[in-house]
Amino acid sequence: MVVDGLEPGTVERPASEEELALRLAQAAGDGQAVIPTGGGRLLGMGDPPERFDVALETTGLAEITEQSTADMTVSVQAGVTLERLNAELGRGGQFLPLDPFAAPGHTIGGLVATALSGPLRLRYGTARDFLIGLRVALPDGKLASSGGRVVKNVSGYDLNKLHLGALGSCGVVVAASFKVFPRPLHEVTVASDGGWAEADRALQLKLAPVALELSSRGHLVARLAGSESAVKRTAAELGWEQADPGFWADHAARLSDHWARISVPPGALREVLAQLPAAADWWAAPGVGVAHWFDARDAETVSLGRRAAEAAGGSLVLLAAPPALKRQVGAWGTPPPTVEIMRRLRDAFDPGRAISPGRYMV
Amino acid sequence: MALPKPVLESLRRIVGDQHVIDQRHDLVIFERDASIADALPEAVVLPGSRQEVIEVVKLAARHRIPIVPRGAGTGLSGGAITLRGGIALQVTRMRRILEIDPHTRTATVEPGVVNKDLQAAAGRHGLFYAPDPSSQAACTIGGNVAENSGGPHCLYYGVTSNHVLGAEAVFADGTVAWVGGDAPDRLGLDLLGLLVGSEGTLATITRVKVKLLPVPEAVVTLMAAFPTIETASQAVSDVIGHQIVPAALEMMDQVTIGAVEAAYHAGYPTDAGAVLLVDIDGLTEGCDELADAIRGLLDRNEAFNVRRAADAAERDLLWAGRKGAIGALGRIRPNYYLHDGVVPRTRLPMVLHRVSEIGREYDLPVANVFHAGDGNLHPNILFDLRDKAALERVEEAGEEMLKTVVDAGGTLSGEHGIGIEKNAFMPWIFSPDDLDAMRRVKSVLDPEGLLNPGKIFPDPESSNPRLRARVGLAAEARWW
Repeated sequence: MVVDGLEPGTVERPASEEELALRLAQAAGDGQAVIPTGGGRLLGMGDPPERFDVALETTGLAEITEQSTADMTVSVQAGVTLERLNAELGRGGQFLPLDPFAAPGHTIGGLVATALSGPLRLRYGTARDFLIGLRVALPDGKLASSGGRVVKNVSGYDLNKLHLGALGSCGVVVAASFKVFPRPLHEVTVASDGGWAEADRALQLKLAPVALELSSRGHLVARLAGSESAVKRTAAELGWEQADPGFWADHAARLSDHWARISVPPGALREVLAQLPAAADWWAAPGVGVAHWFDARDAETVSLGRRAAEAAGGSLVLLAAPPALKRQVGAWGTPPPTVEIMRRLRDAFDPGRAISPGRYMV
Repeated sequence: MALPKPVLESLRRIVGDQHVIDQRHDLVIFERDASIADALPEAVVLPGSRQEVIEVVKLAARHRIPIVPRGAGTGLSGGAITLRGGIALQVTRMRRILEIDPHTRTATVEPGVVNKDLQAAAGRHGLFYAPDPSSQAACTIGGNVAENSGGPHCLYYGVTSNHVLGAEAVFADGTVAWVGGDAPDRLGLDLLGLLVGSEGTLATITRVKVKLLPVPEAVVTLMAAFPTIETASQAVSDVIGHQIVPAALEMMDQVTIGAVEAAYHAGYPTDAGAVLLVDIDGLTEGCDELADAIRGLLDRNEAFNVRRAADAAERDLLWAGRKGAIGALGRIRPNYYLHDGVVPRTRLPMVLHRVSEIGREYDLPVANVFHAGDGNLHPNILFDLRDKAALERVEEAGEEMLKTVVDAGGTLSGEHGIGIEKNAFMPWIFSPDDLDAMRRVKSVLDPEGLLNPGKIFPDPESSNPRLRARVGLAAEARWW
């Protein structure tokens, strides 16, 4: 359990949500710095922590607490892995459409804290679109829930969204509820070496792919899903060659110890990626505006890429990098103009900076 | 109550003389929304630009005057009611569609743009804006964002928060900033996500950027009649249970069908206990397959008179009845009290059964017209506000219906908001710690409590859950 070279004094693995909240409050009360961890797949995200006293593992919270196939919802504790959840949902012909990189082994808590998503985002959006309920432990020992277990809900503030992607800085995720989706009736994977032009054509189809990935070498892989006749027609219109559906699991396993995520308006992605070194190794989702850059090695090229991304109204975030590089360029980049409001929000939840101090933007 | 003269003068300087309303006979126009509550604002201010909004908000902050943003006033939970007086900030002069970009499939609009006008403008580019509340011919995008509005087609496409990319927000101190934007994975805490659905209690929205979607190649609309509301709800459960998520899946009960047929002649069989409307869209090929599968499931649940709209005109007629249903209920009683609970979809048959029992117990007609596929109920309790004795029964029956929803694992509101109608019931679904976490957000963004005060959270000034004890009602306002 090492985060940017720091090792914790103690590792805690609470067996219940209440116990986790209690341990968090104790540590916070003692002025200790706590870093919540799940599958440990993305410990490299964020700036190097200022301190690291207690590792608070969520893997002891490992129950799928309520699964209703007919309601198309699921409630799950933070320590359950995505693979286990999807195996369970698969029995009812359903799935949670998250396919993040650095798989397998992500926990649900980690995915909520990092807001990580993958290629399927093109069709299903991110957890922001299907997270319907959340419970977090706060540094004062309280457990606070938001949302619920229904697919549509405007009761109270949507604190689900406050915590999603906040890297635990406003509370440690202990449980989440999701709207889940039926597995597509029919699916094919097709590929092409047609680069950006073919990507554009695929995105203009009446039935757009559910995932479309483009490599820095111009290789394209698309996933078409829907009813059999619709998929057949779309595959014919596209005219790419059939490819191995096993690609997607291999693709999701991609990661690096110095990688970055570039997120820009989709129309700007091509130009922003053109600013990277010619030999850069990346996979892009042209329909989404996201690219993962797997060899973001030195400060100069990272800064160059970030300038291009930010000039386009987007961001470049380091997902993992040596601490020295993070200190040099920063994990997050230029904060938005509303950063002061964000800081005050964090103060309202974690005034003593007990959770991952220094890692998040605020 | 009236605002101090110097404040009124300053307001007039900011927005122009004709855009400040402070005479009682004019103010009464703004004391209501589509709920049954009313309260008189001290002034109505109609800003014409973001800069005017900023200046009004700053002035109000200086004088500690409450601000209640207001769009078309079609809200159903009292969100636009000026519960503590102050300024109703009427944004309907800000109604420009600033940009529609067919390439990025986005639109940027001012908050006073009417939902249907945006639909029409998007339609000229072969695009549409997915959230389609039944009041869409009148309601504004600003109001939709404030309430996180839904609509029939949100079953497949998602609610407003799924379609808003960014918003320009004027915060309580008059500072202004864009939150969100075109790029995915915005840096920092998701302020946009907090603002959408915050009912005007965290900021005033002055611009909104939304996603547009390409109009699907094909749409199939099915109408099916059922002997009872239970058989219809079972059919809904079966469709969803078979992993089919149509674009829309709407139900109307017998009371509603009668009123709608009288008003619209939409072609619903009046001898039916319930009618389902189903929209399926996508590629022509997929639509037919799905329509056949759904039809089979409807048939299994005693569906009769199953009809597939032959053309766009027939489809529009079938939907006109649904969209105009609540207005048509006026034929039965002049007023309705409409709840908006959501339950896990499998609990629909049980909950609907209990809702009709409650109606009988309180001797009140109840009309159900709702988003069945989402488990989102809309029981309309029909009554006459002039009958003061009825109101007590109406509120009690409504409370029992909501309690039934909550006991079934549901929530208080799916798309109408909490406002002043359900804030007293928030402790049913949220613990004191849950509510405290939400209050922390409020205290950061509106420390003085001037933005739409008295909404969402249980009212510290009144523990009485009954609306009639906390707020004026249209009956007292001599509307009759």
